[in-house]
Amino acid sequence: MSKIEAVTVPKWGMTMTEGTIVTWLVQEGDVISKGDEIVEIETSKLTNVVESTAAGTLRRIVLAEGVTAPVGALAAVVADPAATEEELEAFIASYASRAGAGGEDADVPTARKVEVDGAAVNFLSLGADEGPVAILLHGFGGDLGTWMFNQDDLAAELRTVAIDLPGHGGSAPTRNTDAFAGAVAAVLGVIETLGTDRVHLVGHSFGGGVAAAVARALGDRAATVSLIAPIGLGPQMAGDFLTDFIAADRRRPLQKVLERLVADPGKITAEMVEGTLSFKRLEEVPEALTQIAAAIADGNRQRRDIRGDLAALRCPVQLIWGAQDQILPVPSEVLGSARLITLEGAGHMPQMEASGSVNRELLTLIRSAG
Amino acid sequence: MAQKSYRQAINEALHAEMARDPNVILMGEDLTGGAGGSGVQDAWGGPFGVTRGLLGAYGPERVRDTPISEAAFIGAAAGAALTGLRPVAEIMFIDFLGVCFDQIMNQAAKFRYMFGGRARTPLVIRATYGAGTRAGSQHTQALHPILTHIPGLKVVMPSTPYDAKGLLIQAIRDDDPVMFLEHKMLYDMVGEVPDRSYTIPFAEARVVRDGKDVLLIGLGRMAHIAEAAAEELARNGISACVIDPRTTSPLDVETLVEFAEKIGRVVIVDEANPRCSVAADISAILCEQCFDALKGPIRMVTAPHTPVPYAPNLEDAYIPSAARVVEAAQSLLRTR
Repeated sequence: MSKIEAVTVPKWGMTMTEGTIVTWLVQEGDVISKGDEIVEIETSKLTNVVESTAAGTLRRIVLAEGVTAPVGALAAVVADPAATEEELEAFIASYASRAGAGGEDADVPTARKVEVDGAAVNFLSLGADEGPVAILLHGFGGDLGTWMFNQDDLAAELRTVAIDLPGHGGSAPTRNTDAFAGAVAAVLGVIETLGTDRVHLVGHSFGGGVAAAVARALGDRAATVSLIAPIGLGPQMAGDFLTDFIAADRRRPLQKVLERLVADPGKITAEMVEGTLSFKRLEEVPEALTQIAAAIADGNRQRRDIRGDLAALRCPVQLIWGAQDQILPVPSEVLGSARLITLEGAGHMPQMEASGSVNRELLTLIRSAG
Repeated sequence: MAQKSYRQAINEALHAEMARDPNVILMGEDLTGGAGGSGVQDAWGGPFGVTRGLLGAYGPERVRDTPISEAAFIGAAAGAALTGLRPVAEIMFIDFLGVCFDQIMNQAAKFRYMFGGRARTPLVIRATYGAGTRAGSQHTQALHPILTHIPGLKVVMPSTPYDAKGLLIQAIRDDDPVMFLEHKMLYDMVGEVPDRSYTIPFAEARVVRDGKDVLLIGLGRMAHIAEAAAEELARNGISACVIDPRTTSPLDVETLVEFAEKIGRVVIVDEANPRCSVAADISAILCEQCFDALKGPIRMVTAPHTPVPYAPNLEDAYIPSAARVVEAAQSLLRTR
């Protein structure tokens, strides 16, 4: 019997239950390889591209553009040309009964909270229950959902913990008058509850600055550090992003602000804007964000410099940057032994816009350190 | 995030604002029940269970049961607002508007204007509306068009538990009279509602779902009918955008025009009678502001121009259905 493989609607992040087919990037009859971008699917946050895990001929598109289907639904069928139409039909039919019988979401992971210095810190663990852990730290105004396209891939190989930084997502604002120090303390507090001596740090933007400081505080327990467009590597940034983000209290202005985060503005969905607005509307959130923004920049000048933290690290360090970043420019010189990876077609959120490449780089470094 | 009903969301907003501001008081018929008698009070939490627990938390001075005289207590609430309190008055059914309309239309709505801008009237009038409960012609109307017509009134129609809490807190903090309309068929609807307080600004439509072939505008409960229609259309390969205006006065004209221009085909779904309605109003605004972008006539899916029938089968037929919305959308797509 010929080899027949399924392309299914992926599950990106714990809240995703369905996806909408936006555009097929390949047509029936096209020959595809593993890793090829084959279809754009819209989720509650962002439109993302599915990379093929199969190689062969795209024989049948099952879900047409515009159709919304549950996670796990059969979207297309890849097979070698020898497969007969009857075999394809049987495969599609068997898939329908398999997907229907699933109840695959029975075990939905839920976030947990711990108290650090009297304030609740919310985090989501996925993957192994023990051993080395990858700590994922989002940027200003984000939450642990930033990693919806990444955490599952990392969790397939090791324990992962995505943390809501103080004042974000489900975490209370820090009581520390220094918002940056409060964030570092919150992350170290969560790590202490995990009982591990090997920590891989992954941080984005403001979370990248936090990750560098946390790594330095962990000393030899820090195994690798991956910073995605981190703050603190140059004097300049688009500081008006921070103030505009805080000021935007309606959909239209916020949409414009969020579009600055990505290379392709069309990727920002209406739901992402609504979700961000519902976070920003909560009482105390604007005050917490204002405090954090003040710790990041004064106008267009960055307040922090993380080069001292990086120079003190003895573990491998990599920097991942979107080539079209409009918030923090790609640094002109790389620091010491750190490796700089620049990704085309991505803005300030490469972990969402180029999730496949980012996941590969993260896992490559983590594997290399063992 | 916590899952709560529309009813709980409204109760939580009342609790939060009464705790935050001692000037917030409640007035209405049977808010607590049993007032003046020797029986148990607050057994039901009001006729729809919305005000449960507030009497115990804030006492009878701030949670006031009133006689069955809307003219008297709506007038009293308007006067209390004018003199410094923030009353939230409840008209059990919006159909009772008729007996207190002078207090709303000629008094509360006019104070700011007639006193040269020096009077504030931070009054919220909550009222239930809508068909589907087998309650007959005098307890089931959707009268938001009458209220939207009157300058000086703000009119809010939340369609989800999340919106109900955020819009009610916004309404209570607003310094003008606000009509807050709750659809009886939504009270048991459950959705994500944060524990913390938040406000949703007025004239901020919600993009329920993005789409490119047809724009469905759904008012109040009809946002859900529009959403169900959009799902059905998607199964037929048609991508429908759904927008819930949230407030009819002020109206988020900018968002409606933006999407109408982008999409070019518009269906408006409203449970009110069609003549001189908010649906007709939105249709007129869009025709005036983006006529050249329209690819066909604007379609309205509304109740017929009749009272709400009492016969269950006729009442069901009276309420706009997803099937009628789908049909209207498909007819637009056939035109070109």
